[in-house]
Amino acid sequence: MKIKLLAFGQIAEITGEQTELAADVCDTTELLQLLYEKHPELKSKSFKLAVNQKMAQDVTVLNENDTVALLPPFSGG
Amino acid sequence: METKKKHQVFVEGPIPSGFIAESIEKHSKKLNIGAHSIFLGQVRNDRHENGEVGAIEYTTYHAMAEEVFHHIREETFAKYALTCMHIYHSLGTVQAGEISLFVFTSSAHRADAISACEEIVERIKKEAPVWGKEILTDQKTKWKQNT
Repeated sequence: MKIKLLAFGQIAEITGEQTELAADVCDTTELLQLLYEKHPELKSKSFKLAVNQKMAQDVTVLNENDTVALLPPFSGG
Repeated sequence: METKKKHQVFVEGPIPSGFIAESIEKHSKKLNIGAHSIFLGQVRNDRHENGEVGAIEYTTYHAMAEEVFHHIREETFAKYALTCMHIYHSLGTVQAGEISLFVFTSSAHRADAISACEEIVERIKKEAPVWGKEILTDQKTKWKQNT
């Protein structure tokens, strides 16, 4: 399954800003496990996920071509 | 209706004081307004162990931010009796002492403008996918010392 992965702020410094993932994951929990394996530094970081521009509150099912964004705590204003 | 327009929130670099003055001026023709409330966010020179903040570099998740700002607008218009609402946020580099957030609400009576303005600012801080990277003033000095 293809997923577009975006990252921002200090998370982007670990993962890169934009990646196309071809991964066998069916929800956000599995995606997170995969990301933690790829980038162990992420484990100590605080961030939330947005799926297709909406904050993912709980485990969210992922579909082909979804966009998942890794969002560190906001600091605008 | 103002609420239906897609609004441009992001401004490249700092928000100039002239722009703020012009925004106020533009409302002089709207004679049903009795009160304006304005919030200006300014970049502060916080001091850390490793230096003083000289500037903040702002980035955003643009597509999501547009949605979030749109919802904040719609919900605030529904909740308060506002005549006008304007929100501007900087992207890119803003030096300490410069303005990075400008929220401007107008209403017939002051309570609506004041409450709405405060609520918008709090919601932006909490909900808008915007990030500020602090750039320290003595970073360069430290590099020089290393060589």
